[in-house]
Amino acid sequence: MTVLILTSEEDVTADMVVVHLNASGVPVVRLDPADLPGGVALSGEYVHGAFRGHLSAAGRLVSIGGLRSIWVRRPGAAAARAAVPSDWLTEEASQALYGMLRGSAARWMNHPDAARRARHKPWQLHLAQRCALPVPATLITTFPQAARAFAERYPDLVVKPVSGTHPQDPPLAVPTSRVAPDTDFSAVAHGPTLLQRRVAKRADIRLTAVGDRMLAARKATDQDADPGEIDVRFAPSAAPWRPVEVPARVAAGVQAYLRDAELAYGAFDFAEDADGTWWFLECNQSGQFGFVEVDTGQPIALAVAEWLAAPGQERPSRVNDRGSVVR
Amino acid sequence: MQPFALNYARPAAELEATTPYAYDSGLQLNVLRDGRIAARDHGLMRELGTTTSTAGSKTHFDD
Repeated sequence: MTVLILTSEEDVTADMVVVHLNASGVPVVRLDPADLPGGVALSGEYVHGAFRGHLSAAGRLVSIGGLRSIWVRRPGAAAARAAVPSDWLTEEASQALYGMLRGSAARWMNHPDAARRARHKPWQLHLAQRCALPVPATLITTFPQAARAFAERYPDLVVKPVSGTHPQDPPLAVPTSRVAPDTDFSAVAHGPTLLQRRVAKRADIRLTAVGDRMLAARKATDQDADPGEIDVRFAPSAAPWRPVEVPARVAAGVQAYLRDAELAYGAFDFAEDADGTWWFLECNQSGQFGFVEVDTGQPIALAVAEWLAAPGQERPSRVNDRGSVVR
Repeated sequence: MQPFALNYARPAAELEATTPYAYDSGLQLNVLRDGRIAARDHGLMRELGTTTSTAGSKTHFDD
C-alpha cells in the first residue's frame, strides 16, 4: 500500500517525511497536481459497478485502490503548469484528481472538505471556544462604530486578516499589528476587519498535533523586542524554539478541536501570558513544522510519516453529511 | 476605500531566494549539488528559512 503525497517539488518539509517513509520501506508516490496534465497523468473507469483508477508521475504508477494514505501538503493548483493553462482546465483537472481520490479508501491528512472548513478563522475561534480553549476577545465587523466601541472596552488591540492571507496584487504582507487607541476606524466599513485584544505575551507557542500526538514548542518573547512588532512570523528574534510540556487542559481542548474539525494534523498557535495561560490564536491545518523540528529536534516529521504509514481505519464524518463515513 | 487592515500592510519580503538544491524526481527528494539529501541538513534549512511559517505564503493559506 502506497502513501500519496500532494505537494510542490521545492517542499523540503515534505522531504523530511519522505526520508522517514523511505527508511521504513513504505512505498511513496509524490506529485504536484500543477503538473496534471503533463508530468502527472491519471485514468479511472467506472464499469460493472466498480471503480479502477491509476495515477502516474515520474515513471511511477499507482492504483488508487492501493493507496493507504493521502497527505495534502502544499499542492499547486491543478493544471497550473499545463501547456495551455486556463481556469476551466484547472477545474477539470482538479475535479478529476480529487474526485477520484475521494472515492479511495485511503486515510487523509487532511481531507479536503475538512481542510476547507478549517481554514476559516472565525470558525476556528468558534470551535476553540467550544473546546474550552481560551480565546482573546475578538471582533469581526464592517461597522466602524462597533470597532470604536470595542476599542473603548479593549484599548490594547491588534488587527489581522480575517482569512490569514496576504494581498498579491501588488504583493503585500499584513502581519498582526497593534492598533493605537486613538485610531480612526472609518475604514472598517471598506472590508471585514478582525480586531482582537492583545495578549501581553511572554512566549509564543506552536503546538503541532499529528493524530493523537502533540509536540509543543515555546519561543520566549525577546525582552528588548520592539513592542509594536508582535507577529512572530515577521519579528526578527534570536530566541530559539524549545520543547515544552502541553498542559492537560490544553491537551484536552486540542484533542476535542481535532476531533470536531476532523483533522489528522493541525499546527496550533498560542500566546502565553504572564500567568502561563495559553491563549488560542489559530490552527493552521497545513502549518509548517520544519522550522520547529530543526530548532527543537522534536520528531514531528517522523510522527507524520508514522501516521501516513499506519493501516487505514474508518472514522465517522460530519463534514458534509452527519453520520456518513469519510475514509 | 482601502480596507482597514491594509493600513498595516508592508511590502512582501522576497522569499524565493535561490536554493542550493534541486528536486530529483527519481528520489522524490531535493538534493544538494554534492548529492546529499537537503532535508537531512538541518543547519542549512534553518539558514535558508524554507521550512519557516512564512515560507510558501504566496500560494497557501496555512502558515
